[in-house]
Amino acid sequence: MKTLKPSIIEFTDNFWIESNSKNLSISHEIINDELKLKITANYSQIPSRIKLISSNRSKLKIIADINLNENATLEIIDENDYIVDTSFILKSFLGSHSILELYRFNKFQSDTNNTFFHTCNLSNGSTFKDFNFTNGSDFTKNETKINLNEKNSKYVGSGVVLSNSSKCENNLNIRHLSQSAISDCSFKAVTRGSSNVSFKGKVFVDENCSNTQSNQISKGLLIDEESKINLTPILEINNDDVVCSHGAASGKADEEVLFYLASRGISKSEAERIYIQGFLSEFIEKIEDAEMQAKGQYFINENC
Amino acid sequence: MLEIKNLNVTVEEKQILKNLNLKIGKGEVHAIMGPNGSGKSTIAHTLAGKPNYNVESGEVNLNGKDLLSKDPYERSLNGLFLAFQYPIELPGVTNASYLKQIVNAHRKSRKETPIDAGEFLKILKEKSKLLDIPMDMHSRFVNTGFSGGEKKKNEVLQMDLLDPSLIIMDETDSGLDVDALKTTADAINKLKNDERSFIIITHYLRLLEYIEPDYVHVFQNGSVIETGDKTLASRIDQEGYS
Repeated sequence: MKTLKPSIIEFTDNFWIESNSKNLSISHEIINDELKLKITANYSQIPSRIKLISSNRSKLKIIADINLNENATLEIIDENDYIVDTSFILKSFLGSHSILELYRFNKFQSDTNNTFFHTCNLSNGSTFKDFNFTNGSDFTKNETKINLNEKNSKYVGSGVVLSNSSKCENNLNIRHLSQSAISDCSFKAVTRGSSNVSFKGKVFVDENCSNTQSNQISKGLLIDEESKINLTPILEINNDDVVCSHGAASGKADEEVLFYLASRGISKSEAERIYIQGFLSEFIEKIEDAEMQAKGQYFINENC
Repeated sequence: MLEIKNLNVTVEEKQILKNLNLKIGKGEVHAIMGPNGSGKSTIAHTLAGKPNYNVESGEVNLNGKDLLSKDPYERSLNGLFLAFQYPIELPGVTNASYLKQIVNAHRKSRKETPIDAGEFLKILKEKSKLLDIPMDMHSRFVNTGFSGGEKKKNEVLQMDLLDPSLIIMDETDSGLDVDALKTTADAINKLKNDERSFIIITHYLRLLEYIEPDYVHVFQNGSVIETGDKTLASRIDQEGYS
């Protein structure tokens, strides 16, 4: 492993990172076309931010270990339109009172396969904010495992999927392993062109986890007759002192809404676009960072 | 302006409108009153082109053009505006963005350029003030969490922004308290002119005390059974429909 100074760090001609911070240490090695990264964030008054940049020259295989030391804040932004296959395997460890923010705004070319696996371990008072906007490829898989290991740890996540003639699997596994932890997850998918989208959201609350709060909502919108959406919320609760809610609903666009828009001079195709835009934007306010919220809204507007 | 000839409409195979005939001239205000289930709202929905309202026979002409052959959005672009009894909620879309989009849809049909954001905001402020609508309402999602009064005011705001030639108000007075009814009626009265006509569908006299109709039609079993001037509305208010 060789250690590089942060700023603009080019690992290969295919992938590099832009960083704003000197409070990061980033090391890497390349083995068999796999880029292995080790990123450590230290406390800084100015939160550290890195942007992942792909040149789309060849397949991307990245394995990253991300460590946030006590009180550190790290923002990771992946805002790439991928035209190659991608594979990400992330492992993150959040030290006490640290904050990790992960924003993904990815439009995948239709004939690509893309997988994203992330396991996040949270310590006392740490927070993971996880926002994912995907415009699907032939195959996309997102799998996130959250371990709320210590008290007052918190996970806030939101997934938005616009699927066109594609298969998209989304698995989220949240494990409450200590008391007073919070998880809040929302997932929304729109399927078009014979797409198949699934979301499996599991919340596990261990027996010693009193004062747990967990909220999960998943909604699907079917635009054509051939598409499928499968939403599966699973709750396994082993403690009585919890507030947990979950909801899952899928269906077609509400004809009453489309008629209302038509009665104002909006054509059918435009009304559908506005409807989808509204459907996907419902939880956008969960993104507190105004710049990232605007990016999310732009992604939705551009891809509807 | 609007001419309805021998209109027969079914909804889910049940005939609701039966040989309806109605003529509305430019600048006229027509009130339609009638008991529940008499077909008042069916007229509104049929004219606006709501799916599942099947026209079995008859003709409707608006400004000399056949209305029934047009899609619902084309009817709006041709000057028809329906103010809904229960305005629809549209979560995720802010009211300001929605209003701008409907204004631009009409501008596009007139081959005009989209309205500039600054100009739109100026117009929105001006028209919202008339209706006593606070500007922060426009940063909320369309009709989502709005009170009954706010929803109805938002309907009136849209009719003002879109400048239609025929306005159909489907029980606009329902859900409004006395103050909101007066504010809303004042704003509607400001929209009255020699070119614009109104169909006001209502159960009660109270809205017609603020917006004076030229004609009052009484509906029963899908047809007009009596037509008169505004005194007919007062008589119904006192004596009922039977």
